[in-house]
Amino acid sequence: MVDGEGGDASTETDGGTVTGAARNHRDTNYLEREVNLLNPSTPFMRDHLRVVWTGFVAWALVVFGPVTLTFVAPGPMTARMPVLGFPLHYFLVAIGAPGGALVLSFWYARKRDRLDEKYGIEHGRGPGTAAGDGSAVAADGGADE
Amino acid sequence: MTAGAFLQSGLLPEGLNVSFKLAPAVLVVAMLALFLGIGYAFRVADTEEMWVAGRSIGNVENGMAIGANWMSAASYLGMAALIALSGFYGLAFVVGWSAGYFILLIFLAAQMRRFGKYTAPDFVGDRFNSDAARAIAAVTTFLIGFVYAIGQARGMGLVGLYIFGDVGIPGLSGYQSMVVLMMAITVGYLTLSGMMGATKNMAVQYVILIVAFLVGLYAVGLSQGYSTALPQIEYGAMIGSLSSEFSEPFVNESYYLWIATAFSLVVGTCGLPHVLVRFYTVENERTARWSTVWGLFFICLLYLSAPAFAAFGTDLYSRNIGAVYGDPGMTSAAGDVIVVLATQLAELPEWFVGLVAAGGIAAAIATVSGLFIAGSSAISHDIYANIVNEDASQRRQVLVGRASIVALGVVTTLAALDPAAPIAALVSYAFSLAGAVLFPMFFLGLWWENTNRQGALAGMTTGLIVWTVPMINEVLPTYVGSGEPYSATLAAAVPAIGSALIAVPVVFAVTIGVSLVTDEPDMETKRLVRQCHSPEPMTRMQSAEDVAATDGGEPGDD
Repeated sequence: MVDGEGGDASTETDGGTVTGAARNHRDTNYLEREVNLLNPSTPFMRDHLRVVWTGFVAWALVVFGPVTLTFVAPGPMTARMPVLGFPLHYFLVAIGAPGGALVLSFWYARKRDRLDEKYGIEHGRGPGTAAGDGSAVAADGGADE
Repeated sequence: MTAGAFLQSGLLPEGLNVSFKLAPAVLVVAMLALFLGIGYAFRVADTEEMWVAGRSIGNVENGMAIGANWMSAASYLGMAALIALSGFYGLAFVVGWSAGYFILLIFLAAQMRRFGKYTAPDFVGDRFNSDAARAIAAVTTFLIGFVYAIGQARGMGLVGLYIFGDVGIPGLSGYQSMVVLMMAITVGYLTLSGMMGATKNMAVQYVILIVAFLVGLYAVGLSQGYSTALPQIEYGAMIGSLSSEFSEPFVNESYYLWIATAFSLVVGTCGLPHVLVRFYTVENERTARWSTVWGLFFICLLYLSAPAFAAFGTDLYSRNIGAVYGDPGMTSAAGDVIVVLATQLAELPEWFVGLVAAGGIAAAIATVSGLFIAGSSAISHDIYANIVNEDASQRRQVLVGRASIVALGVVTTLAALDPAAPIAALVSYAFSLAGAVLFPMFFLGLWWENTNRQGALAGMTTGLIVWTVPMINEVLPTYVGSGEPYSATLAAAVPAIGSALIAVPVVFAVTIGVSLVTDEPDMETKRLVRQCHSPEPMTRMQSAEDVAATDGGEPGDD
């Protein structure tokens, strides 16, 4: 899992809070690792794609599953639901699919934030501006999060 | 498509009260004045601000802008129309237009933000190092803006009839006069304000349109005894009492067409230039992600309500006007205003119906703004400044941009005088185009570094062809022929409305195949792609190009 490229143990100078993943992240030069959807080349990409593909499969099932089931088995799928009164297929498509996509989006954004945490990455103006390039002209800041 | 064939220029929604009404007219004028006022307050002159609002927009505000930019007359009017007219098939639009955002989120949003270019053609041009690729993308962007806006113009024309009646421009029908009037207003507004104004407006426009839609839905539901607290769920119980056409699956259209339509709308969502430009306006990639989630939430508020509105409208129509299905049934013109018609038939006060109608106009203007800005920047920035005249001054670029907005307005108006199909169908043609041509370039360009220039050119050309053939087969005849497709077999196999289902796999195969047999892209390009995926944060004004060109990604650099 952890590949040792340039990552020797002597870099442990900054306190014990840094996890293995974060250290690995610091030792990775992302500009030298191939980008290929089917063949992730960094631990971060591997972790990220695991989330992406899990989400994608769940999404495909939620969005195209009910319609396909309705096509295959119209009888049971068009039955009236108790209490709500919807025909089952109508409910799953009209409410289940958009609602499911929304829930999955929230799930993904949370997962992705956790990945950042795991790899010790912080967004926002502070750490991100370390490069300190002179182009940061718009210091007025818009409405923020 | 549904009942597209017999539409004539004298489109008249039966049952709709067409006359000049003071209170609604005042409401619309006040709303437009508000937009212009905000646009004026945030007026801009330099290009950086005009195109991406200085990259200063945050999560919720950008989410609302995504929502307003996204929800056009096709969502506000057209979706309920298709659900009412085509029953279960109409839900393919609800699903395709919402679920696509998830794909956008997991595969494209943050990476696009990191790439950090102004426009979709910029992305294609820089990623594939090719002015030809940039030009194809720019032409596609322009074409999308045009096709998409025809649907908006139709929506504004029909809804405007309720508010202003027949304004009677000589030689034109009431509907046509209204299209001309509304498009003139939209273009006038747009030339006055750049994107900063437009983005600020978008949050306002979102609030206006969602309030108008939901208040309308609740009022109809309460006054008619259909629903109380949650019409979005309660309409389920009345489905049984509506005609079976409303909910029975695959009676109007086949399973294949359902899937093709939904798929096209999903990939179209991920390929639409005016949607992607919203990710350039945020501060960082995390904001790009979360504002997508917010955007989808704001969109779902309306999308979960539209079927309820359609159910109420269908019931009111059949009780007050006549049978919705069968012959003659409800026309597509009446369908396209079903949201307004329902409030009118529920005998709510005139100003209130006017409010719901005004929401539809707000939706159309917001989206046309986004489309025309994307389209005009394609012309002024990508074709004019990058290819035609490389020394163009900013002032000249802005001038060319404004001229192309006017040009877009004129061609759109002309095409909308005698539109080929209902609003939602017109808009879906633009989605098929975006899905067929731009989506594969974005996706492969970002996720496979070996995609090269030759692959992109071959792929985009293929996409354009696969989109154009069914358009000529099905849509051209409605303007110049009998209205029937030239080849019924082709129309069934590759429907214009869902042609991306065929186009996307073909374009992927062509792009990958050609990329494999030609030279790999150079190291600089590969570093650019890698920088888009690096988890390393970037500063607000940085683009992937800046970082990839230096050694910004070296270990220990932070």
